[in-house]
Amino acid sequence: MSLATLTRAWEPMSYGFLDGSAKREVRRKMLKAVAVPGCQMPYASREVPMARGWGTGGLQVSCTLLNPKMRVKVIDQGADDSVNAASIRKFLARVSGAPTTTDTLEADLIQSRHRIPEEILREDQVLVLQVPNPEPLRPVQPNMSIARQMHADADYGRMWLQLYEQIVRAGRVMQGASYPSLVNGRFIMTPSPIPRWDVPKLHMAKHLTILSAGREKRLYVVPPYTRVEPLVFDDVPYRVEEHGGLTCTRSGATGFFMNEIPQDDGSSAYEISDSDFGVKSIRKREGEEVAFGATWYTGGEMEGQGR
Amino acid sequence: MAYVATRGGERAIEQSQRLFRAEMGEITRERVAEIRRAMPYLVDRAMGEASLYDEDLAALALAQTGGEPYEAILLLRAWRTTQPRLQVAAPVRQEDLFTHRRISAAFKDIPGGQVLGPTLDYSHRILETGVLAGEAFVPPPVEPAAVPAPARQPSVAAWQAENGLLELPGDDAALGNEIPDITREPVMFPAKRAHTLQSLARAETGGVLALGYAAQRGYGQAHPTVNELRLAEAEIRVRHPRGTTFSAGRVKISQAEVVSKSGTQLGLGFAATLGWNEVKVIAAATLDLNAPGAEKGSATEEEFFVYHTEGVESSGFCIHFKLPHYVTFQSSLDAMRDAKAKKAATEKAPEPAE
Amino acid sequence: MGQPLASPSPSPAELRSNAAFEALLWALSRPGQLRALEGEGAIVEALIDRECTVYATDPAVARGAERLGAALVGAGEADYVFAGALPSTALLGELKQGSDLHPEEGATLILAAGFTAGDRLCLSGPGVDGALSVTVGGLPAGFWARRAQLMRYPMGFDIFLCDGAQVMGVPRSTAVEAF
Repeated sequence: MSLATLTRAWEPMSYGFLDGSAKREVRRKMLKAVAVPGCQMPYASREVPMARGWGTGGLQVSCTLLNPKMRVKVIDQGADDSVNAASIRKFLARVSGAPTTTDTLEADLIQSRHRIPEEILREDQVLVLQVPNPEPLRPVQPNMSIARQMHADADYGRMWLQLYEQIVRAGRVMQGASYPSLVNGRFIMTPSPIPRWDVPKLHMAKHLTILSAGREKRLYVVPPYTRVEPLVFDDVPYRVEEHGGLTCTRSGATGFFMNEIPQDDGSSAYEISDSDFGVKSIRKREGEEVAFGATWYTGGEMEGQGR
Repeated sequence: MAYVATRGGERAIEQSQRLFRAEMGEITRERVAEIRRAMPYLVDRAMGEASLYDEDLAALALAQTGGEPYEAILLLRAWRTTQPRLQVAAPVRQEDLFTHRRISAAFKDIPGGQVLGPTLDYSHRILETGVLAGEAFVPPPVEPAAVPAPARQPSVAAWQAENGLLELPGDDAALGNEIPDITREPVMFPAKRAHTLQSLARAETGGVLALGYAAQRGYGQAHPTVNELRLAEAEIRVRHPRGTTFSAGRVKISQAEVVSKSGTQLGLGFAATLGWNEVKVIAAATLDLNAPGAEKGSATEEEFFVYHTEGVESSGFCIHFKLPHYVTFQSSLDAMRDAKAKKAATEKAPEPAE
Repeated sequence: MGQPLASPSPSPAELRSNAAFEALLWALSRPGQLRALEGEGAIVEALIDRECTVYATDPAVARGAERLGAALVGAGEADYVFAGALPSTALLGELKQGSDLHPEEGATLILAAGFTAGDRLCLSGPGVDGALSVTVGGLPAGFWARRAQLMRYPMGFDIFLCDGAQVMGVPRSTAVEAF
């Protein structure tokens, strides 16, 4: 053995930033996560040149998957041009040479914080969701070791009790985003802080979703064609945000998840949260020919989703 | 067309970074060298929390971030994580450390003597304001002792073990690649011993102090006595591919042993870190001392302090709250408004009693 | 600060690993569907290093894994079991299955199989849209029944079947019925 066999030729930075060892770790754990849908897999999350909590989990997955032929889209709160999305997109392109896009239809890999695009993702697309807190049980059990044991035992009684208490107190489930959902009938997962509007998009989807929490060092997967069922009682159906009837003041489109913009006169205006979809809708209204993909919601309703 | 015009995008990011650095001026090799020379304790702290021993890189990180410690340590960690692991050095034993300072609060005198070494412990904390008026502060020269203190000494705990006062932890048989490495595998609880000690070694000084102090004030079961505090240099011995062992140099380390009465024996808490950082190792050893049997969710429980003293993670998460959260906020607002409407409706028309 | 890389380009090894992993991820996410993969060596290159334990019946695969730093161990202790053409189902009982607390500790089993002739199987579960009928040959008799008998989800082992330049994934979450 010589030093040369242990080392490699000097490079200013590894391709995709992560070194081989980091990538292999993420790969191994991604495969295990596919095999046990919704189960949080611990992984040796590395530091990356971005602060923890700013998408370092998603970043490690993207850095592992990317190659110069994969087109990447990055969104934050639905927007491609928010500062954090711009920063991550620039980093990914810089370290991998991957081409970028804002159009959901053109993307091979979509890294997102807090939203799933409105256009239906295809079988060949991969969605990477950034996860701040991977543990759905944390509100009822902050200790990670105990929570893990509860998952092992499928001991979800306290989770149900919490939802029940909310219904008794407030007349409804008060969970906003991050709605806890049962994956493949076995593990409760948090779908990351996506709105309730987006959770049904994971159910029996054509695409692969990888959820990764860098700070908490856990990743989990929703494979294609996998059941993702929000926790609900038989007599209290799951309800997405009441956005189905709202109209985007900028594009005139109706029936999608909206940003609420407070107005000086005390009222609210709305704009489509999925910025690329919003831009396409405006261009269409202005008479341009625009390619839209099919959307999960039609007329503000999702098929098979009682509201 | 910028759909989210108010949030600016790439140009805004670029300009905000320029603004941050605008007044710091050029970063030169000389500036880095001066930081390294003038602020060894800051450099040490950064190296300890980064778990990367390189004074030049640490000084560079501090220069590059204008001394913002969390940013500097993140820079170092992100650099460290991409480096190949060539070798695992031979274990360092306490009795082999080249010791600069070694004191015990447990005994008036200890075998080898109390070695005060470099410290400000007994200094009067008075600002040398004359410096600002142009009078340079010239440190008076050190007058060496006639007989130097012995450089190598066993630990106080070793003496206590010989005298039946405490039981030393058994020798860890794991060597080389077998040693669990917190940077190569996620910590799970109950944690491997190596993971706990590595976590404390990398922990953020202020975080460890806050939790260690809580334990010292009474939120822990065990009141610590500093059995031994040591500042030293450790020899890094590695194997050359040809098979010979050689010294790759020495690194500064700090270590603390704290003890407390635990039945008929002394309980022992231990911590060590790269660089000289006394507050950190005493606080960390206090946490280690208090960890066995600590209540779940208490500050001295292993899971609690390992997670919450991790500086890169805690600081990153803290500042992530600056990121927009309006989707989650919108989602909560929707549930809130609906609950409010429901409440108003039921108050207006109470359900008929059945 | 931070100099942009002129044009980051992956090394050939990097590209091979990237492509191999993409195939493995696709195959395991869509059980029963075939993907192109250049043999067991590609799996070793994409996944194996000093953090893993490996058992391999083929000395060349074992050497490759060892060169990348993996510890060679018995089949019962290995994270990755490269068993080639399996003579009987005996090996299955030895494999690590993880625990309810740590399902990720279940082994990955890589086997030689054939996709042109053999048993007709019906797959269902995550990754399969309804049910999928596939042909798999080259496995010992009673393989799928033994697999089902041994595993209690979420514990279990995950399988990659290799036939020349093709791979099929069968994760523990897949129900396999032999006709």
